[in-house]
Amino acid sequence: MINCLLIKITQNSRGLPVRSYRTLAAEELTFGRGAECTIHLPDPRIAMHHAVIKRCDDGELHLIALNGELEIDSASRQNIELTQGTQVMVGPYQLTVEPTPPDVNLSISLALVHRLPDDFQNIKSRTHEPLPGATQFKRRLSIWMVALIALLFLVLPMAQNLIPQLHDTMAELPFGFDRVWSPGHISNAHRHFGSQCANCHQALTQQVTDQACMQCHRDTTPHITDPALQHHAFEAKRQFLGSTRCGECHREHKAPHPLTRQDNGMCVKCHGNIKSIDANTKLSDIHDFDKDHPGFKLTFKSGDNNEKIERIPQTEKARLIENSGLNFPHSQHIGKVQGPNGMRDVRELSCTTCHQSEGKEMRFKPIAYKRDCLSCHASKLEVGPANAKLNVPHGSEQNVMNTLKLFAPKAFELHSETLKTTGCAYCHVVESSVKGDALPWRIKPLQINQDWFSKARFKHASHRTQQCNSCHQVEESETSADVAMPDRDSCLRCHSGNSPKYKRIASGCMSCHDFHSVHGAVNAPISSEKLNPEELDTLLSISKQPPKE
Amino acid sequence: MQRSNIFDYKNYRYFKLAVIVILIAFVAYLLFEPAVGHYGGSWLGYGLGTISALMVLWMAWYGVRKRRYRGSGATQGWLSAHIYLGTALTIMVTLHSGFHFGLNIHTLAYAILLIVVISGFFGNYTYMIYPRQMTENMGEDNLDGLLLRIAEADKLARQIALLMPDHINNAVARACGETSIGIGLLEQLRGFQPNCPSAIAVQQLSVMDNTLSTEQRKLYRDLYSIMVRRESLVKRARQDLMYRARLGFWLYFHVPFTIALLVAMLAHVIAIFAYW
Repeated sequence: MINCLLIKITQNSRGLPVRSYRTLAAEELTFGRGAECTIHLPDPRIAMHHAVIKRCDDGELHLIALNGELEIDSASRQNIELTQGTQVMVGPYQLTVEPTPPDVNLSISLALVHRLPDDFQNIKSRTHEPLPGATQFKRRLSIWMVALIALLFLVLPMAQNLIPQLHDTMAELPFGFDRVWSPGHISNAHRHFGSQCANCHQALTQQVTDQACMQCHRDTTPHITDPALQHHAFEAKRQFLGSTRCGECHREHKAPHPLTRQDNGMCVKCHGNIKSIDANTKLSDIHDFDKDHPGFKLTFKSGDNNEKIERIPQTEKARLIENSGLNFPHSQHIGKVQGPNGMRDVRELSCTTCHQSEGKEMRFKPIAYKRDCLSCHASKLEVGPANAKLNVPHGSEQNVMNTLKLFAPKAFELHSETLKTTGCAYCHVVESSVKGDALPWRIKPLQINQDWFSKARFKHASHRTQQCNSCHQVEESETSADVAMPDRDSCLRCHSGNSPKYKRIASGCMSCHDFHSVHGAVNAPISSEKLNPEELDTLLSISKQPPKE
Repeated sequence: MQRSNIFDYKNYRYFKLAVIVILIAFVAYLLFEPAVGHYGGSWLGYGLGTISALMVLWMAWYGVRKRRYRGSGATQGWLSAHIYLGTALTIMVTLHSGFHFGLNIHTLAYAILLIVVISGFFGNYTYMIYPRQMTENMGEDNLDGLLLRIAEADKLARQIALLMPDHINNAVARACGETSIGIGLLEQLRGFQPNCPSAIAVQQLSVMDNTLSTEQRKLYRDLYSIMVRRESLVKRARQDLMYRARLGFWLYFHVPFTIALLVAMLAHVIAIFAYW
């Protein structure tokens, strides 16, 4: 039997401790929420049967945990010997062993030290604000993104431009910090150096200069051969266009679009009103091949050296006479013709029997006597009567004369005259020799035109699906003085101007013309070494240099 | 008559304006194609880019303006214009880009702008649907009222649970003492909390304990109904928090990305004129 003094410590309305005393006598003192417990503790944190005080085998009183937990100094315990001063936490209650007065075995005090929190405040304290730390998150995210973007896309590329040491260091690397500024793909031709922006963009806030282009493209030719006219024309152009940089027509960072502008815009800006560029020009205004392009002019070589040319409009038909030095009727060399070996030797000739194409662009090999004539015509020319025939070789006049002098010295004059009037003259134009010449006559040197349209670009390869005679009318040509070049109307049968028409291909300026070299300016390359570095417009500046002779 | 909202403000004034802006941009885009194809550096590209940049600055200014309680015009009108012209802006900048994209600052600025606009769309969507759902969820209550009713239920449940076996008492005590509402961002956005003590308690209580006495059984039924009511209150409180979280969440992106956009746009413009 345990006689126990139970002191319950509560608080009055002023918060002061109030002790109430009670004695209990039982075999065991049970603690719990259950009504049957000796010490009834109505708190949800206490188990129904929380703990028990009983006398153990050693004769001492022990507090033993049943379904609840006991703690001394926050350490969980199962069995606690109760001696004076022992303090045990029974759930939210503190149990203290008090000094034992007489008549009882045990004196304990119980105080509720951990009150149940107020329900409303409790649940409110566990209800969180929506979006915890939103402001801080937004601020941090903003700062990080701003810092990252500013560093990668502004500070580093700028630093590379403004700090020379950094610029030099980065130039060694595959690409620089400013690579992120590239607005589009670089064309294949420029890609191998294009990831280093400074190769072209040499100065901040300045458009790419022609000097940058000329570092590599040194052999680029100007638009107009005459330097004074070139300078005058481009100065005039600059006054109303602002710039004549390479970059005006050659647009980089647009791949896979071609680097060079394919439209007529830049051409028409000058050639649409060419008088505003040069009041003295003989050119007419052009906007569109289909509408106001003038008729073609054919290039004739005038004079013996090939450098002198004359351009004659196709409308002036009386002047279109080729002076090739040959007597050759196309009409007798096409279709079925009689061969050299008798009546039964009939041969079929076509254009390509003699005009043989070469190369990708399908230009034509020059006509060669041995290859193109000999297959039908005899290789040796016979002169003299039937009983004393003499063969003269095809070759220089000197060889022919030597042969005559050697084999028929007596008949030299006669044979020479025969050759001059019928023999050689059958195919060649024979000229009387000038005074002091050792030979009595000479063969006119051949001058077969190779490039009729010297200011345009024409590829037979692009037209290989067509028949030759759809452009070149030679079947009826009786003389080699005839010129069988197609005119603008025959081009217009298949080609239209800037916009396509029914069954006609759209053809801009660039389809036939080339800005840099059509004007016979191949001998005047721009040299970047001679350029004044302050001159931005290279095309303009080249006129200050006389073209190389 | 119902008051106009941000969408039909002044008889769709800004909707019409946005449509006109888009149409003009489209027509210009179709009519004036540069020889080398559309790109940001053609005169049309510069035009679209300049207008877009000014629009971005104006939109960003809305964020400053709405935090001030003075200024010109109704905030409702500003918001209406902000939404419609912001939508038009995506089309303007897409045309400005000429559909050229790459790994560079220009496409980055474009992508950030899209994030800003899309987050704005989401914000717009939340303001279209959640306020009504919030009202449906809360009725005439407010969150504090709900919490008060939960607290009352807690008190009642705990008193009854004192008479119940330990496992029931513990479950109820845990539910009352540990239930929290909107504990983290993810839970707030989902409006659901896994392993919620209240839900666990209701689940445990749904199976009657056979060891209970007749008297306890009657109380047990009371306790169960209190806990079920309590759980539905907790769910409603969580839903309320979810709606409020979702209403604000899009600003996590809209505002920081707007600030990032301003910097990216600055870098974009500087890059263009640095390498002119």
